[in-house]
Amino acid sequence: MKRNSLLFFCLAVMAFLVGTAIAQDHAKSDASSKASPATPLLAANSNPIDDSASPQRTRQTRRNRQAVHTTKSEQSERVEGEQRFRENCGRCHQPPHKFPPRVMAAAIRHMRVRAMLTDEDMRLILKYMTQ
Amino acid sequence: MKPAWGGCVLLLGKGCLRTLASAVVLALFFAPNMPGQNTSQSDDVKPIPIFQGSAGFITNFDAGDAHLDPIATPVVLVPVGERWLFETRANFETDMVQLPGRGGFHGQVEKQVDYAQIDFIANKYVTVSVGRFLTPFGIYNERLYPVWIRNLQSDPLTLPIGIGPSNASTGVMVRSGFKARPQFDINYTVYFSTLITTTPVDSDRFAGGRAGIFVPKARLEVGGSFQHLLQQERSNLFGFHAVWQPMVMPLDIRWEYARSKRGSGYWLEPAYKLSQLPFLQNEMRRTQLVARYQQFFTGQLGSDALPPVNTKQFESGVNYYFTDGLKFTTNYGRQFSSIGNKNVWTLGLTYRFVVPMGPDGGRR
Repeated sequence: MKRNSLLFFCLAVMAFLVGTAIAQDHAKSDASSKASPATPLLAANSNPIDDSASPQRTRQTRRNRQAVHTTKSEQSERVEGEQRFRENCGRCHQPPHKFPPRVMAAAIRHMRVRAMLTDEDMRLILKYMTQ
Repeated sequence: MKPAWGGCVLLLGKGCLRTLASAVVLALFFAPNMPGQNTSQSDDVKPIPIFQGSAGFITNFDAGDAHLDPIATPVVLVPVGERWLFETRANFETDMVQLPGRGGFHGQVEKQVDYAQIDFIANKYVTVSVGRFLTPFGIYNERLYPVWIRNLQSDPLTLPIGIGPSNASTGVMVRSGFKARPQFDINYTVYFSTLITTTPVDSDRFAGGRAGIFVPKARLEVGGSFQHLLQQERSNLFGFHAVWQPMVMPLDIRWEYARSKRGSGYWLEPAYKLSQLPFLQNEMRRTQLVARYQQFFTGQLGSDALPPVNTKQFESGVNYYFTDGLKFTTNYGRQFSSIGNKNVWTLGLTYRFVVPMGPDGGRR
C-alpha cells in the first residue's frame, strides 16, 4: 500500500514536471513570436534590390549576399549544434574536447544508437564538434 | 523446415515470435519515415573505426574492508558503409582484497563482453540492433554505467532489476528518437532477449520496451520502462526515470524507480558544479558536488544480486575534473539495514580515451 502510494506520487510528480516544462515552452515560444515580426521588416529593409545597377555589379552583389547568407547559416547551425550538444550529450556526461571529423563521425553514430539522437541532432552536433 | 530455423523457433517459442513481430510492427508504426530515405549523418565525412573506452582505479572501503578495484572497459566501433555499425565493449575488472595469513592484495581478473552488437540504421528515425546489447531498462545500465560517466562510483541498489543476469540481453532491439512536436522529442526502444545459460554471457528470456519524452528547452526527460519475463515466474517489471538540468544553474538531477517481484526501489542523485562561485573559478568549474539517496524494498521472491533486506543508503562526494576525460572522485556513504549499518568509502581516478584506427582526416 505504502509502495503504491509512492508510485502514484512519483507518477504525479513526473506528470507535473512535463506539464510545467511544456507550459514554459509554450510561454517562451509565444513571447518570441510576438517579438519576431520586426525581423522580416528589418531584413527586407536592409536588402533593397537595385534594378538600375549593372549586370556585373548585380551578379557580384548576389554572390556576396549568398556568401553572407551561407556564413550566417553555418554560424546558426553551429550555434544550434552547440545547443543540441548541451541538451542531448550533456544529460549524461561532461562535454569532451573536439575530435577530428572522421573520429567524431564514428562516435556520433555510436551515440545515435546509445542516446537515441534524432537524425537532425546528429547532423548538427557533428557539425559543431568538428568545426 | 530447415534444422537451423527449427532450432531457432523452438528456442524462441511462438509467443516470443509474436512479441518480436509486434515489437517490429510497433517500431515501424511509430517511425514517421519509411525506409528508402537517406540518413544525413555526416554530409561528406566518412567515419573510421575507433578504439575508445575508459579505465579506472577505484579503492573501496566497505564496512572497514579495503577493496582495490582496477577496471578497464575498451570499446571498439567499426562503422561499415553509411548505415551499419559494429560496436563491442569488454570489461576487465578485479576485486582485490587482503586474505587472512597472506600479505598484500589478491584477486582474479573478471573478463566479460558487455555488448557486441550490429546496428542497422534503417531510416532517419529507426535503428535495428542485433546481438548482445545492454538491456535498456531504466537509464543507468545503458547510459550512465561507464566509470568516466557515473557521478558516484558505487552502483545503485536497484541496478540489477530488469537488466538480466549479466547486465545484457541477447536478441534484437528496435530503437528510435524523433521530434514529435517542436516542443518535445520522443524516444523509444523495444527489444526481445533469448535465454543464454553460458556464463559470463548469460541472458534471460524476456521482452520489453522503454519510452521517454524529452523537452529540450526545459532540459527535462521523463520516461518509463516495461519488461515481461518469459521464464521462471513470468512476471512483469516496470520502472520510471527522469533527468532534469535546470537552465539557471549547473545542476543535474537524475532519478530512477524500478519494481519487480524480486524487489523494488528508487534512487535520486543531484550533482552540482561549482562554476557559479565567484572565487577560484578555474578550480571551481572543475569541481562537482554529488549526493545520492536510495532505498530498496525486498520483494516476494529473493535474488542473489539484490540486498536480502530492506535497505537505505545515502552517499555524498566530490568529483574533480583535471580534463574532460580525467577525473578524481571520492565519496562517503552510510548504509542502513536490519542486518547492520555500515560505512562505504570510495576513492578513485577515472580516465577516458579515444584512439582512431585509421586516417582521422585532421581538424577542419
